[in-house]
Amino acid sequence: MMTQTYQYEEAEAFLSKLRELLQSGISQEQLELQLPYHLPEVEQLLELRPGPLRFFALTGGLSGFLGGLGLCIYTALSWPLITGGKPIVSLPPFLIIAYLLAVLFGSLASFAGFLLLARLPKRDNLLEPSDFGNHFVIVVKGEGQ
Amino acid sequence: MERREFLQLLGIFSGAAILPGCGDDRSASKLVSYLVPPDEGVLPGEARYLPSTCCECPAGCGLTVRVREDRAVKLEGRPGHPVNDGGLCMRGQAALWRLYHPERLRHPLRRDADGQFQPVSWDEALTLVVEGLRQARQQGRANLLLSGRTTGTLAELQQHFCQQLEVEQLPQFEPFSHAALRQAYGILFAQPEVPHYRIDQSDLLLSLGADLFETFVSPVNYARQLSRAIKQDDFQWIHAEPHYSLTGANAGERLILLPGSEAALLCFLLVRLDAADERNRLPMQLMAALPASSLEETARLTGLPKRRLEQLAKQLRLAERPLLIVGGIATSQPQGLQVALLAGLLQQRLGMVGNRVDFSQAEAYASVGSLHDLERLTERLEQDQVGVLLVSATDPLVQAPAALDLKQKFQRAGLRVGLCDLFNESAQQFDLLLPLSHPLESWGDAVPRRGVFSLLKPAIAPLYDSRSAGEILLEILQRVGQQVQNQSYQEYLFNTWQQRFDQQQLQQFSEQGFLSLPVSAVPHQFRPEAVSSQLATTQAATATAPHLILTPSIRSFDGRSSCLPLLSELPDPLSTVSYGRWLSMAPTAARKLQLRDRDLVRISSGDWSAELPVRLQPGLAATVLMVQGDLLSEAPLPTDARSGELIRRLDGVRLTKLGGAVALAILSGSSSQQGRGLIPDPVHTQEQPLEQTRFYRAHPHKDYRWAMAIDLELCIGCGACAAACYVENNVPVVGQQDHLQGREMSWLRLAPFYDDAGRASFIPMLCQHCHNAPCEPVCPVYAAYHNAEGLNVQVYQRCVGTRYCSNNCPYKVRRFNWWQHQRQAPLEQMLNPDLSVRDRGVMEKCTFCVQRIRQARDRAQDEQRPIRDGEVLTACGQSCPTGAIVFGNLLDESSAVYRLAHSHRAYRVFADLGTEPSIYYLRKG
Amino acid sequence: MDQLAAREKLEQDVLKGLRRPGKWYLLGLAFCTLLFVNALVLWGYQASQGLGVAGIMHPVGWGVYIANFVFWVGIAHSGTLISAVLYLFRARFRTSFNRTAEAMTIFALMVAGMFPLIHLGRVEIFYYLLPYPNQRNLWPNFRSPLVWDVFAITTYLIVSLVFFYVGTLPDLAIVRRRMTGVRARIYSFFSLGWTGSLGQWKQYSRLYLLLAAFATPLVASVHSIVSWDFAVSILPGWHTTIFAPYFVAGAIFSGTAMVIILMVPLRRTLQLQPYISIDHFEAIAKILLFTSLIISYAYLVEYGLAFYGHNQVEMELFRYRALGHYSVLFWLMIICNSLVPLTLFIKRLRRNLAYLFVVALLVNLGMWIERFILIVTSLARDFDPYAWGTYTPSWVEIGITFGSFGLFFMLILLFVKTVPVLSMSELKERL
Repeated sequence: MMTQTYQYEEAEAFLSKLRELLQSGISQEQLELQLPYHLPEVEQLLELRPGPLRFFALTGGLSGFLGGLGLCIYTALSWPLITGGKPIVSLPPFLIIAYLLAVLFGSLASFAGFLLLARLPKRDNLLEPSDFGNHFVIVVKGEGQ
Repeated sequence: MERREFLQLLGIFSGAAILPGCGDDRSASKLVSYLVPPDEGVLPGEARYLPSTCCECPAGCGLTVRVREDRAVKLEGRPGHPVNDGGLCMRGQAALWRLYHPERLRHPLRRDADGQFQPVSWDEALTLVVEGLRQARQQGRANLLLSGRTTGTLAELQQHFCQQLEVEQLPQFEPFSHAALRQAYGILFAQPEVPHYRIDQSDLLLSLGADLFETFVSPVNYARQLSRAIKQDDFQWIHAEPHYSLTGANAGERLILLPGSEAALLCFLLVRLDAADERNRLPMQLMAALPASSLEETARLTGLPKRRLEQLAKQLRLAERPLLIVGGIATSQPQGLQVALLAGLLQQRLGMVGNRVDFSQAEAYASVGSLHDLERLTERLEQDQVGVLLVSATDPLVQAPAALDLKQKFQRAGLRVGLCDLFNESAQQFDLLLPLSHPLESWGDAVPRRGVFSLLKPAIAPLYDSRSAGEILLEILQRVGQQVQNQSYQEYLFNTWQQRFDQQQLQQFSEQGFLSLPVSAVPHQFRPEAVSSQLATTQAATATAPHLILTPSIRSFDGRSSCLPLLSELPDPLSTVSYGRWLSMAPTAARKLQLRDRDLVRISSGDWSAELPVRLQPGLAATVLMVQGDLLSEAPLPTDARSGELIRRLDGVRLTKLGGAVALAILSGSSSQQGRGLIPDPVHTQEQPLEQTRFYRAHPHKDYRWAMAIDLELCIGCGACAAACYVENNVPVVGQQDHLQGREMSWLRLAPFYDDAGRASFIPMLCQHCHNAPCEPVCPVYAAYHNAEGLNVQVYQRCVGTRYCSNNCPYKVRRFNWWQHQRQAPLEQMLNPDLSVRDRGVMEKCTFCVQRIRQARDRAQDEQRPIRDGEVLTACGQSCPTGAIVFGNLLDESSAVYRLAHSHRAYRVFADLGTEPSIYYLRKG
Repeated sequence: MDQLAAREKLEQDVLKGLRRPGKWYLLGLAFCTLLFVNALVLWGYQASQGLGVAGIMHPVGWGVYIANFVFWVGIAHSGTLISAVLYLFRARFRTSFNRTAEAMTIFALMVAGMFPLIHLGRVEIFYYLLPYPNQRNLWPNFRSPLVWDVFAITTYLIVSLVFFYVGTLPDLAIVRRRMTGVRARIYSFFSLGWTGSLGQWKQYSRLYLLLAAFATPLVASVHSIVSWDFAVSILPGWHTTIFAPYFVAGAIFSGTAMVIILMVPLRRTLQLQPYISIDHFEAIAKILLFTSLIISYAYLVEYGLAFYGHNQVEMELFRYRALGHYSVLFWLMIICNSLVPLTLFIKRLRRNLAYLFVVALLVNLGMWIERFILIVTSLARDFDPYAWGTYTPSWVEIGITFGSFGLFFMLILLFVKTVPVLSMSELKERL
């Protein structure tokens, strides 16, 4: 079977074709879709799972939190100076730092995960962009290709 | 004097031998550092403490000069000195600025034909003087010597000089001559002197106008005595004055008199007290000469309630050891002489003379003249009778009353020779300027009062090609062959001392820097007959309001110290104005004219007028306006024809509101403490503050926990502590512009707070070194933290200058370096090398003189012992004339600070904030 | 109209903004740049002379600089509110504003971030504030609110940048497609080779959601932390628990007003009327009104507590705020922040863009004054009456303040010409 390309101007036509193709038993791996904007319906049709990006966020967030807390405690203990009669390890302020670093590292890890998972930046496309403009495109790859 | 003897004496006045100032090694420079340090002399990093005497005002306080690497860096009151016993006022602290003043004369100057000053050598300069003296003698003109108050050997040398060279010595010139007082005592007791008042031996002090804490004769001495007296339970102090002085603010009770009614009050008291007791009555004839002073009349004249007058008479009568002191404004008025006479009578009547009014130890004012002498001088100048006029260490051109017009007439002297230290405006009126060495660069002695000898010994080599007055006079004498050739003034002094003191006394004199010799009691004779005629004129005349009173200034004395930058930087204690001049007026009077602080007014009297900004002075009588005399030297003040005292009051002045305001550096944000209990009311806060509950555990202190106790009962708000702090801690003097913007750098400030009745209380505010310091946790870089000895430490090198610590300090005692503060050369030489000079952009504050703690610790460590109580003296505590500031270790239960901190009077400012300051204030009462 | 044509038209309409700039644009840009350069010169002057050239003094150690800092951090907040919070709430009108609002967030943060540096006494060692390993092993004091600030602002800026960048990725690809030559290459580089494949969209939408989730707490926390700069202290008027929510509301208030200030002229000059409807403005005006009510409530609570609490120091401060040296500013603030926005209860006024624009200007003026009053009065009248003082900003401070506006609008103007001001890919969903 040869690779087939379908182009649509409108979302509805595109979605019905996609539905048709899926019903005809074409697997998700054979489909390559290009969209001018994010269509949540496509994901519903393809029954996509949440995916591993969440774990990037979780890992980043957790490491940020623990790292932040650790940094505060370590630095406070490495030179235990009394300020204002407060304890050397003052948890409330340290939690603020930990929280902020959780957000920061979580966001950055998510972004990194995104780049990894979405395979960006794409070098080929940087030099010679392939773009389908405002069309909805379905590419059905031939088997064995 | 034999060379052997001289060397012997030199040995006694130890340190003299290696002083570079003595020999001819002024140009010597050190090329090689010490490998073997000398026994005595400059040790890098080691301070030497040398005795000297303060010459900033005539009081003659003893000094300890701290010398580091051949530079004097700090002056301290000399403990045990009979005048000041360790205390030193702000002027004394600032005296170092005179030594390192950028305007100091550096070599003799001579005015050439074009009126320009050209440097000349000493040889030429002195030849000119000798030549001038000779010419004037030939022309039949009189050669005159006018000096400020001079005592001791120099006074004798002056006399000798004048005799030998046929120079007429004019009576010494002092703006605060106490002439009326001396004249009165002369009439009454044949003692034309200012007696030594023994306040600490009295149980009731009634002071009338005398500004005991500001300028009156010996302020530090009186403050010391009063602090001793106040510690006695039964001591009462009533101060009566028409204006508002720092002394009045500190008296137990301040009676506000109508201006010019002092004589009436004294008359009333005299009549009452004389009638009360049969014994020891004054002669009838004398009493008859007194004007009738009924209770009603006196109440009307003085403005005091009748009951108070009666009570005052009763208090005086019941007191066992009463003391009356009059002076200052009370004797600088048309009736000044009567006031002094009546006071003398009262002193006699109540048995004070001979004990608490002590003529045997009279303050050495006998050779001081009065304004009459200056008047005579101007007359002679006008008649071109004056040849050479030598003016030594006094500034009559600025300080003589404007009415004399001395400056103009001065030009008519044949040769005007000035022995002065600064090249200021009045110096430029001379033909020949002979630069005087600073007292810290010179040998000498002073006799501030009979029997007290105070040593002047060079602490540093002269900075410039200058000489002391003694050296100059001696050298002139030698030039005309009237004195042993090649005898230095130092030898001359040693000679004199050797004749006066025995060996043991000499030893003592050299070691302590002072000597108290027993004085024989002066028999005083009471001569009431001479008084009657003088008193006949004691008619109470009601002067017309409003009255302008020109007060003495604690900062500039009579104006002589106003050239010292530190003294403009420190605020006036009552008004908290630092730079500029101002007119103090009562808030009620100001409200009538709709005047507020800084509003410009014109004050005029006759043809004369001046424009001044207003400063509201709570507690001031509504009819009285007050300006510090030296700030308004152009005022047309008359001279009292009888006493020759300046009349420091203008009656019936006109006050016009000009509209608009001028910038005036008022440092206080509020004259009221707004009921915030910084200084708690002794009546309402008897309960102890509740025990603080802590959220966090208190952090431990190992051996020391430094703390301070400040007794507000003793604090008189004189500002000596603040001045000492400036010098000790290299606090920059920033100038008027920064003061106008609220950027003064003082680590320690004295806040006067007035209650509704206008009574002032003072509280020294400095870093409280809080146990839970709010400034510390907000610093992002640990520049502020708490050390193990309870100090709140500021690390300058670490500070990035966020100023958050200052914002978060409830006491607002942190100071930020808004600029890279510059010190005009050679002022940088007085920097204390023990601590750093802070850079631009850095926060600084009181350190509890951590450098002194460190020194004490080093010393204790060397001797393997803990630091003793009282071993660490902070600069502020050291200087305090009343000993109100005590510093020490709070962990040591035997320490003075521990005892005071646990006194029932102890409290901490803003205790409810939970900052737990290390400074304990002791409330009054 | 058929969908493709509509999308094409949308792209053309939005990208019109990227065309060669006109005279007025250049003039405006030059003016803003001038203001900014002037501020740089003044800063240099201040750095060389010392902070004395500013008007700050004892006891008012913080003045206009910190007011500016809080103001600009506040402006930054509504960007995140609109882009992240409203995204999570699926508010449709968000699409009209989110791109500009996000850009505004970043620029405002950049401007805000300068002020802590400007106000440092020794800016040359600002890095002492950063946690970096050093030979003394001395780190910043994490107990200090100023270090929290450093972390909060940095985190906020980075997260906002990522959020903004990720949001623009699909649009950058569109610009790339519609450009030629060097510009195309540049946009191509920044679009990272976005093609719009399902795989990219899939990860994109998840990332966007995650970032929105991360950014949302920042809306509340960053300005809370800024408020703690004050609330953690012990000064009257600063030391109060109400500060965090009060500051957050104030931040959204002023930020929303800034969005209106930016979007009203943008909509007009770039002819975006078809995409940004009056309804959208009305929705955002309601936010303005709502947050205005919150801060008015906060004002009331502050005064109520001060007087009911019967704390002398607090009472005097709040009396001083209303009647003291800065009373004119105080009442101007009340008018701008509490009274004028009340008119937005009237629907007709709410939908009148010119009126809304004026209200937004007044609100921002009022909010700047609020920060000034809040910072300065508390310092000017704290515990020790002797140390009370009055602060007047110097021309250096005023110049730098204007320079901060210059920098902000300069960046906004540059943004308008380089990045599509509307999110095209999101708008396409709505078509």
